[in-house]
Amino acid sequence: MAEVFRSLVNVIAVFAIPLMFVVFLGWGILKKVKVYEVFVEGAKEGFTTAVRIIPYLVAMLVAIGIFRASGALELLTTLLAPVTALVGMPPETLAMALMRPLSGSGSLGVMTELMKTHGPDSLIGIMASTMYGSSETTFYVLAVYFGSVGIRDTRHAVPVGVIADIAGMLAAVWVVNLLFR
Amino acid sequence: MLNYIWISLIALGIFVAAGSDIADEAGNRYRNGVPLDVRFEVSKSLSGLRPSWEGRIHLTAPEFNALYGQGAADSAVNEPAVVTPDPSGPATVAITIGEASPARWKEMAAHAAEKGRLTASAAQVKFSADGHTASIRMVMESVRFVKLRAVTAAALEYASTAVTISIGLIGVMALWLGVMKVAEEAGLLRIITRLLAPLTRRLFPDVPADHPALAAIVMNIAANMLGLNNAATPMGLKAMEELNRLNPRIGTATNAMVTFLAINTGGLVLIPATAIAVRAAAGSANPGIIIGTSIIGSGCATVAGIAASRILQRLSRYRRDAEADNG
Repeated sequence: MAEVFRSLVNVIAVFAIPLMFVVFLGWGILKKVKVYEVFVEGAKEGFTTAVRIIPYLVAMLVAIGIFRASGALELLTTLLAPVTALVGMPPETLAMALMRPLSGSGSLGVMTELMKTHGPDSLIGIMASTMYGSSETTFYVLAVYFGSVGIRDTRHAVPVGVIADIAGMLAAVWVVNLLFR
Repeated sequence: MLNYIWISLIALGIFVAAGSDIADEAGNRYRNGVPLDVRFEVSKSLSGLRPSWEGRIHLTAPEFNALYGQGAADSAVNEPAVVTPDPSGPATVAITIGEASPARWKEMAAHAAEKGRLTASAAQVKFSADGHTASIRMVMESVRFVKLRAVTAAALEYASTAVTISIGLIGVMALWLGVMKVAEEAGLLRIITRLLAPLTRRLFPDVPADHPALAAIVMNIAANMLGLNNAATPMGLKAMEELNRLNPRIGTATNAMVTFLAINTGGLVLIPATAIAVRAAAGSANPGIIIGTSIIGSGCATVAGIAASRILQRLSRYRRDAEADNG
């Protein structure tokens, strides 16, 4: 069942981009749009958008880099472990839950490390990989998306992102404990 | 809010780093200035062509632990080393640190002047009668302020990483913005928007039903679900640009933007490809077993994010910010 679903999604993912090129550009030709000229016109924006993100991403990644290098995460993990143990989260996976919203490469490292130590099919291994798949790198997304349109006052976006992350992590802990304990 | 989180990450990082460096210094974690006696087994002798002895240094686990503390090493230490005599002073010992080296030495080597190599100064080198072994009394090079150095290095490294990431986006951004522009001119975005109006109208009530932002949003979500990150980001940024056209107060997020980000940070993916690849690499019997659990996890995150964005946007502190310039 899972295998069928997986190969189906993989097939769709392979076809999606070529299909979009064909449909989007083909539709343009049908509608007598000067496709090449219009494409180039749109593509021009790519450079300015990417460059506009730089200051926002520098600010965000430098703060996250300092936090990661300092060992503050280990300290937080030790402090919070007794609390999160109450919801059935093994202390080893807490580092994953804390790192996931901050850094994609960092949480990838935590996941790989946990699988090496505990095995990919252990409760901790399954929980860590589910946590990785249950959320995005929230603060990176915030910096890039808001940075691209010059938003500095993010209003309720940060609490919303954090609430979503906590919900995702708790759901991952709950469902993995339910199915694999 | 972002201001506080940002400054907390930096302040917490620097304080924790400074604190742990002070603790290391007080406990002399790296035993700076403390002499260590090792046995040196010569494999290549000093000669006219070779200015140094090559060989391995040996220490039993108890000898190593006597210096660095209980549990620092659980087996005998045996590392390749090069001893170079210096006529004007003490000989230097260069120890190559590898996978099997004790953790404490690896830690020290990571912060040494030359990565992966520890140097020590040998106050005393006594060769045996046959010249095959020697006993050396040496003092390792001092290691200090490890965490603060790491923090400084990380700050500089991440600043350039940010630029690398942004510059790396230019190509895919240009590609997708070009394709989207063609679709827009051809009226295709309008058709997609109209088809999905029943769904998007509920999620984004502030956005006019036929606005091109909705098409970009839908395509971003679809690309994310399929795990097509290279296509998802450009479409997401296109959506932000379109949403910003409806923004009465440039520089401040709108309700629709926050809802859109909530969907994106929830990270709903049908196949969590990276996690599956790591599991397969780690030798899992069933790497794909996390597909279902991840969909449940990210589904909950997305629903909670959308709900939170709807509830929090009504709070007076957030509402006031958005309307401050309109009155």
